[in-house]
Amino acid sequence: MALLGTVLNTVGALFLTHAIYSTHEHTTAFSTSPLPTDITLELLLSIVLLSTGIVTSSQPLRPIQAATWAGQIAREGQKPEGTYTREGEAVLSEGDPYAFLGLDGGFGEKGGKGEGRRGFWDVKGKRREYEEWVRGRGKE
Amino acid sequence: MAASTLDEERELTIHPLVATSMQHNNQVISNIRNLTASLFGVAAGTLGLESYPGFIFYLAGTLLVSILLFVLKTETTPGKYFYRPLGDMWLGEVFGGLSGFVLTWTLFYGLVRA
Repeated sequence: MALLGTVLNTVGALFLTHAIYSTHEHTTAFSTSPLPTDITLELLLSIVLLSTGIVTSSQPLRPIQAATWAGQIAREGQKPEGTYTREGEAVLSEGDPYAFLGLDGGFGEKGGKGEGRRGFWDVKGKRREYEEWVRGRGKE
Repeated sequence: MAASTLDEERELTIHPLVATSMQHNNQVISNIRNLTASLFGVAAGTLGLESYPGFIFYLAGTLLVSILLFVLKTETTPGKYFYRPLGDMWLGEVFGGLSGFVLTWTLFYGLVRA
């Protein structure tokens, strides 16, 4: 996506420069006659290309609903978008405001060192475990 | 009116919003609007537009950018990214970019056409 934006911006800037230069030359040579259609079309095309490129290469938007947003973070992991120093330290990045709940820590299989409070409890998984346990007892 | 306010409040309590995300989105929209407004000014000045046609050109350009935002940035669901899609995305920052537009419009009119 970033590459597409860069390509669009570059091509658009080239067309824009060429169109402006052509207009300048045209008005210097024939100041009374109107602008030729091809220059106008080139200019408009470059504008469309550049605005598409600008929109494409801008930062992605973030969902405003807390549930959607937290779900996105949970699915894709924290995607730091802030600026970074040359050493790779985040200068300004948005973290998960619920990190203090210690979702990543705890006594899970990963063996985190946090307090271990679970913000998300896999209800369906627990239910399945329970059902399997019940079935196992039934067989005995 | 009072009932609708209460409904809104209730809705916001059930589905809370992330203030930093809203700020971020508004910032992105503002950046895009400012950049494209200067760009439209370059085009309007080079085309030699004067008076009302220039402003109509600007409005047409912002409409184009709004459509691009709608399709490319919000994947046709602006409600996911903006609390009030009409005010924040379709019309957001339209008049904030007007000064930049007039600036580059007059500059390029003077440079290229005059």
